[in-house]
Amino acid sequence: MSEQQRAGASGDVNLVGLSKSFGSNTVVQPTDLTIPAGSFFAVLGASGCGKTTTLRMIAGLEEPTTGQVLIGGQDVTGLPPYKRPVNTVFQNYALFPHLSVAENVAFGLRRKGRKDVDGPVKEMLELVELGHLGGRKPAQLSGGQQQRVAVARALINHPQVLLLDEPLGALDLKLRRQMQLELKRIQTEVGITFVHVTHDQEEAMTMADTIAVMNGGVVEQLGSPADLYESPRTKFVANFLGQSNLLDTRITGTSGGYLLMDVHGTRMALPVDRTAAQGDQVVMGIRPEKIAIQHASAADSNGNRNRIDGGVIVDSSFIGVSTQYTVRMPWAQEITVFEQNMERDHRLVPGAPVVLHWNPDHGFGLAPEPATASAAVKA
Amino acid sequence: MNALAPTGGGGGGGTDDLKEPPKRGRWVPYALLAPGMIWLVVFFLIPMLVQGGTSLQTGGLEKGYEFTWHFSTYWDALQTYYPQFLRSFGYAAAATVMCLVIGYPLAYAIAFKAGKWRGLWLVLVIAPFFTSFLVRTLAWKTILADNGIVVDVLNTLHFTDVTALLGLTEGDRVLATPLAVICGLTYNFLPFMVLPLYASLERIDPRLHEAANDLYADPKTTFRKVTFPLSLPGVVSGTLLTFIPASGDYVNAAWLGSPDTGMAGNVIQTQFLRVLDYPTAAALSFILMLLIVLMVSAYIRKAGTEELV
Ligand SMILES: Nc1ncnc2c1ncn2[C@@H]1O[C@H](COP(=O)(O)OP(=O)(O)OP(=O)(O)O)[C@@H](O)[C@H]1O
Ligand SMILES: [Mg+2]
Repeated sequence: MSEQQRAGASGDVNLVGLSKSFGSNTVVQPTDLTIPAGSFFAVLGASGCGKTTTLRMIAGLEEPTTGQVLIGGQDVTGLPPYKRPVNTVFQNYALFPHLSVAENVAFGLRRKGRKDVDGPVKEMLELVELGHLGGRKPAQLSGGQQQRVAVARALINHPQVLLLDEPLGALDLKLRRQMQLELKRIQTEVGITFVHVTHDQEEAMTMADTIAVMNGGVVEQLGSPADLYESPRTKFVANFLGQSNLLDTRITGTSGGYLLMDVHGTRMALPVDRTAAQGDQVVMGIRPEKIAIQHASAADSNGNRNRIDGGVIVDSSFIGVSTQYTVRMPWAQEITVFEQNMERDHRLVPGAPVVLHWNPDHGFGLAPEPATASAAVKA
Repeated sequence: MNALAPTGGGGGGGTDDLKEPPKRGRWVPYALLAPGMIWLVVFFLIPMLVQGGTSLQTGGLEKGYEFTWHFSTYWDALQTYYPQFLRSFGYAAAATVMCLVIGYPLAYAIAFKAGKWRGLWLVLVIAPFFTSFLVRTLAWKTILADNGIVVDVLNTLHFTDVTALLGLTEGDRVLATPLAVICGLTYNFLPFMVLPLYASLERIDPRLHEAANDLYADPKTTFRKVTFPLSLPGVVSGTLLTFIPASGDYVNAAWLGSPDTGMAGNVIQTQFLRVLDYPTAAALSFILMLLIVLMVSAYIRKAGTEELV
């Protein structure tokens, strides 16, 4: 293998059929995943969905029930953690209480036999803005400071893969943004593969090249932030990343690359290639900011836009850059609409009759839940 | 703590109801201390003063004793009995090391490997205490008896040849040798080593081991750099709890040893109860106490008190 090839592939992480069960409880379903070398990969998901467990299997701290972990093409499934070219920023920091902050950060370098650790440690501490606290013990630091020590302790080793388990959870918003930029900068500069677990969808969207959305031990969707936001493929993704309005529909036909459908008596269209479902039942999703809202009396004919008449505003809240409306549909479903505050129509107050319309190309189609009980109740 | 109290009061400014609570509670610490203080005064301070007085008396059993500030008793006692003192501390140190060597792996296994059997193992460690100290020590007389299985095996393995070279045994015997005394001390004080060790090992967060593993430390290095340093408070208190009572012990030397293995405790016992030379016995007690205090404080200073408190 040539030098270049090896360098290119050295930080690849491949999960092959990887799963984990505790007793009879499977917390990570068999997963196949490729994380390209040098990418910033975010894992997003609700609490308890198996994010930490997945990271621990990559780090070697948890033995997979099935499957393999490959790093840079090499199967490391059988390797103990200390032999893997991987470092972790632990969710609970796990700093060594008997060592000073500087010694905590130097720990990995010393194990690799480096003698001249003072320079790099100082640099690293400066990077996380803790240059003046190197002599303290971890117990004498605030939560956020401890978290930054944990980041520094892992980052200083320049591993091929850095696993970050909610590394910024304890920081205030300002410091969080700053650390996000810092991490992103380091990642681009050093070219380390980052696998970043987070609850915070905004963090995932702003930092990651690729996001994996996990739910109940399954990666539901994988893609770029824009991809996931514009074309979610499951209800969970549609609602976990931003908000979505979901409408139950019945397909009536196709025409010129569009699905034609009936939504509670209204005809609508949806591009076929934006639909992740087959069959005659499709759930149409539309983001609140993609919907235009007009007072019923001002509404003109909207060409071939999807349009719903007969809505009534039940709530409006002014958020500054935009106004959020809740509109009740004739079939009693409530739809959320975000309207930019450019030319505010003062008739748009609770109780006002309105018309909603949007570009059909902005909708996305999802499969109905396997158990269609909820749809049946609504209909 | 003391430094905090005034700050708290000062922070309250001039408001009366903020100043009130500390005033009301001021007598509470003393009340809580009182039983312990009374106990110490009656059973420690007074006897010690009486002993101190006795050690400075001269006279005999028939004529009676008289207080004469006779400090040279101390010097004479030390000159006559320094071999016993050296032996005391030597045996105690050997037993402490043995306890550490046996106790550390035991405590480690209970803390990290025993899982749900932890409780049972701890009970087993303490179980010997359910029988009397004397009976247990006597049992060792049987265990180490000449021609007993243990000694036979040790002889066959030529173990006794090695210990004889080191001056710990004589001939084919183990009983009535320094080795027997050290074995008895080790056995009797082992729980005092294991329990503090266990307590400090059990407190270590297993996630720290994971973090060390993650940072390229193999299990051996993880032990050296993380587990052992974090268990040092247990090592320090365990060695103190073993060494201090072991160096004052006389039962093991009396039952398992010979006249040549007498420890300071044996001399004190003989002087008090057989020879009835009370001043010398009292002086010996004080010398023993003083030496232990000196050694322990040197040790604690070296080991760093920070973690102990
Ligand atoms: N050692 C274990 N034994 C049994 N169940 C476990 C164990 N570790 C984790 N679990 C379970 O596995 C599931 C996934 O846990 P995991 O820690 O991976 O969640 P997570 O996605 O990281 O959540 P969070 O965002 O709250 O950190 C949880 O339901 C948890 O209770
Ligand atoms: Mg987690």
